[in-house]
Amino acid sequence: MSYEFKNFHWARDIRIDNYLMPRTLDEALDFLEKHQGKAQVIAGGTDVISQLRHRDLEVDALVDITRLPDMDGIRQDGEMITLGACVTHAQTALSPLVREKAAILAKGAGSLGSPQIRNIATVAGNLVSGHPAADTSIPLLALNASVLIASREGQRVVPLTEFFLDKGRTAIDCRREILIQIKFPAMQGNQGSCHLRLSKRQSLTIAILVMAAVVKVDPQKKIIQEAAIAMGPVAPTPFRALQTEALLAGAAVCKETIERAAESAYAEANPIDSAIWGSAQYKREMVKVFVRRGLENALIEAEALVD
Amino acid sequence: MQKVGLSCKVNGKKVDLEIQPDTMLVDLLRDTLRLTGTKEGCREGECGACTVLLDGLAVNSCLIPALKAQGKSVVTIEGLAKAEGQLDNLQQHFVAEGAVQCGFCTPGMILNAKSLLDRIPDPDDKEIRYAISGVLCRCTGYQKIVHAIKAASHDKQQIPQG
Amino acid sequence: MKAPPDLLLREHSMNEKNDEKKKVATLTKERVDLQKLSKILSGGLSVAGQSAVRTDARRKVTGTQRYGADYAQDGFLHGKILRSPHPHALIKSINSDKARALPGVVAVLTAKDIPGRNGFGAIIPDQPVICEDKVRFVGDGVALVAAETEKAAQAALGLIEVDYEPLPAVFDPREALKKDAPRIHEKGNLLSQNKLRKGDVDKGFDQAEVILERTYQVPFLDHAYLEPDICMAVPQQDGIMLVEGPMQAPFTVRRNINAVLGVPVNRVRVRQIPMGGGFGGKEDSPIDLGCRAAVLAYRTGRPVRMSLAREEVALQTCKRHPMIMKVKIGAKKDGSLVAFQGVIYDEQGAYASLGPIIPPAGGSHIHSMIMMAGPYEIPNVHVDAYLVYTNHPYGGAMRGFGAPQVHIAHEQILDELALQLGMSPLDIRRKNGFRKGSATATGQVLDQSVGLQDSLEACAKRFDWDRKYKNRGYVDEQRTKRRGLGVGMGWYRTSIGTAGDACGANVHVHEDGSVLLFTGITEMGQGAYTVLPQICAEELGVCLEDVRYVTPDTDMVPESGPTVGSRSTTLMGNAIILAARQVKESILEAASEILAVPADRLEARAAKIFDREAPERGITFKAAAAKCMATGKRLIGQGWWAPPTPSLDPETGQGNPYFVYTYATHMAEVIVDVETGEVAITDYAAAFDVGKAINPKALEGQIEGGVAMGMGYALMEKIVTEAGYIQNLSLRNYLIPTALDVPEIKSVIVEVENKYGPYGAKGIGEMPNIPATPAILNAIADACGGRIRTLPADSESIFRAIQEAGGPPDK
Repeated sequence: MSYEFKNFHWARDIRIDNYLMPRTLDEALDFLEKHQGKAQVIAGGTDVISQLRHRDLEVDALVDITRLPDMDGIRQDGEMITLGACVTHAQTALSPLVREKAAILAKGAGSLGSPQIRNIATVAGNLVSGHPAADTSIPLLALNASVLIASREGQRVVPLTEFFLDKGRTAIDCRREILIQIKFPAMQGNQGSCHLRLSKRQSLTIAILVMAAVVKVDPQKKIIQEAAIAMGPVAPTPFRALQTEALLAGAAVCKETIERAAESAYAEANPIDSAIWGSAQYKREMVKVFVRRGLENALIEAEALVD
Repeated sequence: MQKVGLSCKVNGKKVDLEIQPDTMLVDLLRDTLRLTGTKEGCREGECGACTVLLDGLAVNSCLIPALKAQGKSVVTIEGLAKAEGQLDNLQQHFVAEGAVQCGFCTPGMILNAKSLLDRIPDPDDKEIRYAISGVLCRCTGYQKIVHAIKAASHDKQQIPQG
Repeated sequence: MKAPPDLLLREHSMNEKNDEKKKVATLTKERVDLQKLSKILSGGLSVAGQSAVRTDARRKVTGTQRYGADYAQDGFLHGKILRSPHPHALIKSINSDKARALPGVVAVLTAKDIPGRNGFGAIIPDQPVICEDKVRFVGDGVALVAAETEKAAQAALGLIEVDYEPLPAVFDPREALKKDAPRIHEKGNLLSQNKLRKGDVDKGFDQAEVILERTYQVPFLDHAYLEPDICMAVPQQDGIMLVEGPMQAPFTVRRNINAVLGVPVNRVRVRQIPMGGGFGGKEDSPIDLGCRAAVLAYRTGRPVRMSLAREEVALQTCKRHPMIMKVKIGAKKDGSLVAFQGVIYDEQGAYASLGPIIPPAGGSHIHSMIMMAGPYEIPNVHVDAYLVYTNHPYGGAMRGFGAPQVHIAHEQILDELALQLGMSPLDIRRKNGFRKGSATATGQVLDQSVGLQDSLEACAKRFDWDRKYKNRGYVDEQRTKRRGLGVGMGWYRTSIGTAGDACGANVHVHEDGSVLLFTGITEMGQGAYTVLPQICAEELGVCLEDVRYVTPDTDMVPESGPTVGSRSTTLMGNAIILAARQVKESILEAASEILAVPADRLEARAAKIFDREAPERGITFKAAAAKCMATGKRLIGQGWWAPPTPSLDPETGQGNPYFVYTYATHMAEVIVDVETGEVAITDYAAAFDVGKAINPKALEGQIEGGVAMGMGYALMEKIVTEAGYIQNLSLRNYLIPTALDVPEIKSVIVEVENKYGPYGAKGIGEMPNIPATPAILNAIADACGGRIRTLPADSESIFRAIQEAGGPPDK
């Protein structure tokens, strides 16, 4: 086990030469290009500043995108809900639109950190962190969200199922690209959802396990047409339990289905031991409990089960 | 490193400075402006002792580059009372209820409470605890702080007292 | 079993020498009429006993209260410490040339630069100011840097080249006791071995009808005070070294710094700055920073400011001692306890700090041994306690000083015993708990102020135990959440238990009736700056706002010992009363002359002095003070108070180590999610016998805060180490309870007068967090059947414990 100087001697400063505040997307991309990979995007900053102080991140300049226009809106266009890249966790958690049409996202956003962190940290920033249990990544993954990324080369859409590459690594290169929008379908009448979070205390804590489930039932409310189950940290990235979802597709709404799904998720999950946040086996056991409870609650919400 | 201009409002007063771009808001307030009521407890947004109001929103100033305050308004604990020598409603009730022990978390608590009462004038206990859930206190067990905020919310007069 | 007569508390009496002009009371340790200190005048208390608003609250809510880091940094050099990255290693060589050459760096010091003793420590100075030949824990200091800016100092640290030869290290006290274990200090790894022998424990177990044996393990805990440590050393013009900062023990800091600088005690001046929390941690962390800052200031001739980042606080300052406790308890079928056998492996860590004994009974280790059998009458007790060095960060004082750990053991095993005997957990405590006249495990007869049973009954009533007890069980149809109750009883000392434990106070009255109060007791949030002036004002007969408390400065206040051991209100309160009485004699004499009424008919109250028999006849305190000034009467009072001499036999652990104890009972109601192991505390009550509450509201605040701290110990706090490296240095991953975790706490103040305390008071600071941990653990076991013997009881531990118990309860 090798430990570096920075593990025993803690700095206060963040060591950057420039803090840039572009007014347009073009200007922002320009700044990034000029710095040739030595500058990085910052939005709320709660992750980036901490990384800089810990010397886990070293850059010459930060490019603050919070003054760019059209980045802080939450709106519904047709069936899709759009979040601008600078929408904060607080705005998301309190948004009547999100609470009604994407409850698991409101709940997930509302459980991150603390009120002060939520007032400034952006949902986009949370996605970009690539943390396997990032509080908005999990519900957005279950909601089949996608992100819009802008760069000098143009704009591209990346579904979240392809966005998370490895622990702390995502499909975006924040030294060249800017995530500008998050989009996902609003929940419909024949859908139900549930968000569950296990943590060591009730605030200011990362999750031991977080799970978001979305189910879609048939008009008679007897069959599960579709299910999305996202959770973390049970893999290096935020995780969709695809095998469990396949099992649920077309399954009857009943206790046996739920039990089978819980067992399947238990087998699919692959968490690791953490000396601080819990053993792999415990997390696996909790996956079973959460998927069971999550599906029950989601089906109750979809009115396919009675409370 | 080249200095950059920062223009903002702190406690209602206009501030125009040339600062190093890597200056954090907590240091601007404490070291440059000598407003030491804002405390530094952990420097990573985990304790809330550095809470200030940025355009009315409670934020951890230790994680905020000072330049983010460009064109914005910052309120610290020193800016709460309406006049010199007076106490704001929350401040009064913190004193009266015994909600202050070592006092290190107190500015952070009061500012988060202010942010709450500005949005929800009559919060219940759960909402109060939620609002202060981002400030750690090792002394009080939070109870008298919750009582003080409740009392402040019920104080219909809310007249600043000396 | 009766204690030998010479160990019983002696009756004390006042010795008064008659002086022609004035009555001067001479105090000797054997002859102080302690009874009068607790007496309250017929008119009742007017200042003490009131929930007075804290004198510093206004400053704190406006942000004008200055803490150490709030003082201007202009003119100060920034000091930093180069730390060892190895838990145990030899230092082969150190080269600081590159660091010295860095612009802005003023000094880089190594061990040879220490002018005096290269060692500091609260009890044994075994920690090098700068390590010379070896390092003993990750974070041990290897060099010191002073630079013009913090950035330059930090950069300089990175340029110092140290060649280490790692040594095998040891991280478990039981391993460290083995013959072939790596030797951490010259004299070996066993720092202290202590024995308690009462009665005949083997015979006791023979008589027992039920015997239980259990092992408990508790981890390192961090104080997590909100204010990180900081210290400033400022060389004075006359060559004096002034050191100031947040600290609980200015005199201990001073006596370390003078030795390190190689100068007499009176050439060092130490000044306390009010703390943002201490909890025992700032008893010795300021010695560390103070000595280092002083050496840098000494060598550079310039002021040096040394502040720690939060992670550095966790890395280098002391912790609560981890322990492995083995307990064997024997009882009769009717629940009476007959035998208790305990073994404590007390992990000291790399340096002695506040662990070892200061005869007869100071030091956390001996305190653990004394407290281990709990507040119960047990005729046969046998305890072996081992205090052992390891290559871990070191244990110091943390709120309870060795008592919290052992309470976790005896309160849990007692509950298991009760369950086995079919007794309620309250009844077994009613049966065995101390009463007036009980003898402790050290053979001390508790002849006064024993409110343990009172606290039990008061708590049960407030908590509504009997009704709640019937309501335990599953709360939901799906049987996933189950409610349980738990009780935890505690006892705790007032005073440190050393022969030298004493307090001095000075009271100065001025010609306008305003008062200065000088003591060495420090403010860390507990309210000393309010409670001590309350006592002073009460005794003098003035108003609270007439008394200004002078911030402790070793140049100005009498040696008073540290602000620890829950001793401040009681010991210092007594000293203040004596000081106030001394100067009050002058005041009453002057008033007597003005009013032409004998002094013994006069009473002082609310800054007025009046004839008790004709209360409308009176003058102001101010007028009397002015008269004293005009007629040369003494306006200075000096008080010195020491508790009765403690005793503890080094072979048997028998004696009277502390002169009085406080008692408490806590009760918790929890709901455990039996599928996940999560715990919610749904109701909580705490009853505390404090003798007399000098400031009831402040006391409630201490209780509420203490419960939160005890809750953290039970449910979430643990310093995680791997091969000697702390894994959770930050508040992000060392978790203390937030406002959403702590329940509403119902406190009950019980007052069973302490004859030897101011107006009957006893100490209060530490007890509140002690019974909380076992009360919660007992409630969890009651709720889900899972017993947690290795802390913390986080959800995973509870989940496993339920599994080990064969699943959650049926009903």
